[in-house]
Amino acid sequence: MSAVAAKPTAGGAVDMTAMIIGLIILLVVIAATYFVFGSGLAFMALIGIIVGGILIGFGVHFVPVGGAPAAMGQAPGIATGVAMLAAGAGLAGLFGGAWAAEQGVVVATITGAIGGGLMMAITCMFVTFIYVFGMGIPCASGKVAKDPITGDTQAEFKSQGTEGHGLPFVSYVGGVIGGLFGGAGGTLIYLMLLDLYKEELPAMMNALPGQVLPIAVTLAGMFAIGMFLVNAVLAAYNITGTIEGPHDPKFKRFPRAIVASAVASAVCGIVAIMIVAV
Amino acid sequence: MTVKVEKIEGGIPHTTIMIAGLIASLVFLYLTYANVIMGTEYFAFFGGLATVAALVWGSHTIKHLCSYGIGTGVPSAGMIAFGSGVIAMLFATKYGVAAPVVAVILAAIIGLILGYVANNVLNMRIPVMIQSLTEMAIIGALVLMGYAAMMTGSFELTSLTTGNVVILGLSLPSYQASFLGGALIATAFMLGAIAIQHPFNACLGPNWTQDRMLMLAAECGFLSMITAAVMSMPLISMSAALVSLFVAIIGWYYTYTKYIELSRRDAAAWLDSKPIPEIVEGQ
Repeated sequence: MSAVAAKPTAGGAVDMTAMIIGLIILLVVIAATYFVFGSGLAFMALIGIIVGGILIGFGVHFVPVGGAPAAMGQAPGIATGVAMLAAGAGLAGLFGGAWAAEQGVVVATITGAIGGGLMMAITCMFVTFIYVFGMGIPCASGKVAKDPITGDTQAEFKSQGTEGHGLPFVSYVGGVIGGLFGGAGGTLIYLMLLDLYKEELPAMMNALPGQVLPIAVTLAGMFAIGMFLVNAVLAAYNITGTIEGPHDPKFKRFPRAIVASAVASAVCGIVAIMIVAV
Repeated sequence: MTVKVEKIEGGIPHTTIMIAGLIASLVFLYLTYANVIMGTEYFAFFGGLATVAALVWGSHTIKHLCSYGIGTGVPSAGMIAFGSGVIAMLFATKYGVAAPVVAVILAAIIGLILGYVANNVLNMRIPVMIQSLTEMAIIGALVLMGYAAMMTGSFELTSLTTGNVVILGLSLPSYQASFLGGALIATAFMLGAIAIQHPFNACLGPNWTQDRMLMLAAECGFLSMITAAVMSMPLISMSAALVSLFVAIIGWYYTYTKYIELSRRDAAAWLDSKPIPEIVEGQ
């Protein structure tokens, strides 16, 4: 078998036993946090981290990731991998949200979402410019006969032997929605950890709140980036690397990614909380 | 159903590289503890050597995992390694002298759960998935701890968070001039994440050879170590930073020449195209 055909054929099947074991791990971590730290700031931080992680994992499914075939004009989507796209959208959102951290959770999370969505909108626009005017290929989806939003037919624009090419309108919209979810999720993790660290670090390090602020910001930022990448790569494993957007049949696999993101965020989150609370 | 695309034929088996990488990395990390015992900072460069050992092991783990064709690209493996490793590493620094061992154990637990989630919940069904993600998390934690030890001379949380600023001859404690407060950890994160994924990404293909990829991994490690040595200058004494820089440049030069030699050995043919062609007058 050639290297091209040897991709893992995980398919859409759901392994119920593994899902239940995953949910048990999740509940054990939540329960452990509740019994050790009570229902205070640490518990709220864990819940925020899990919600943020789920938003990231779900958001990746909207983003049209094309990978190497897209760069050769043989598949639709943005011509790079999930790790790069998610890092771009997530960090743009995280930086946007971090600026607004003092305005409260709601304003900062929305700002982060707008940052991620804007980054994806600009990326999708210039990707389309390069596809259309640089490579000379029209935008056509290979997975659906008609664009679900505009109703444009796709088949007559699709070249033979390809899975479609360029960035159809529905993929563009999916990319922006994915950026919104990713940016909001990353910012939420950052804000929750920042609140916790600002509260706990002065006592732990025996210093004034103003002095430890740089450390609180760095710790929260690094943990947010780390959890963002973990969730994004796990979601990428779920879609086996490429997806066209919300109209792709692979999108229906998202329940698996939600469980996976929740478990991964909970495990990483409890360690991030224990650094100040134990 | 998964099909393994490329087989590892000949060369050193993966288990040997794994054990050697883990032991070498831990030994080098503990050699930096000589700084605390002897009250100097000259042993900081052992932290850089620990990262090189872990990166060589890591590039082979990526080869081991990505030869199954995970479909997400090689860089994603480096990103998940450091994303999970940074969490274990920062928590482990609380435990003082036991930090490297705690980091390995905690990273193994996080990696094991992530591997189970990827393999079973996400239904990847790749035989080496759980083992590889466990190794990757350990490698991420060890590399970041190596950079921390190299830049600050120690791997304990207090010395990672507290630095010194000299104002008008007075040495004042400062939280901003530190490995964490100055966000040097973000740079260390990317230095390691790119160094770990590049060797296999550059060497993969039908004429992949193990010694060439591992040599490139060591070269990437030393190249990152040069940058880390420059970044260590504000945090440790200048002479200790220069020792690190010297070791890094020697190591980089040796591995780079060896890598070019191995690339020429494996190439079908090569032509030394001079950087600037000489223009001969009158032709």
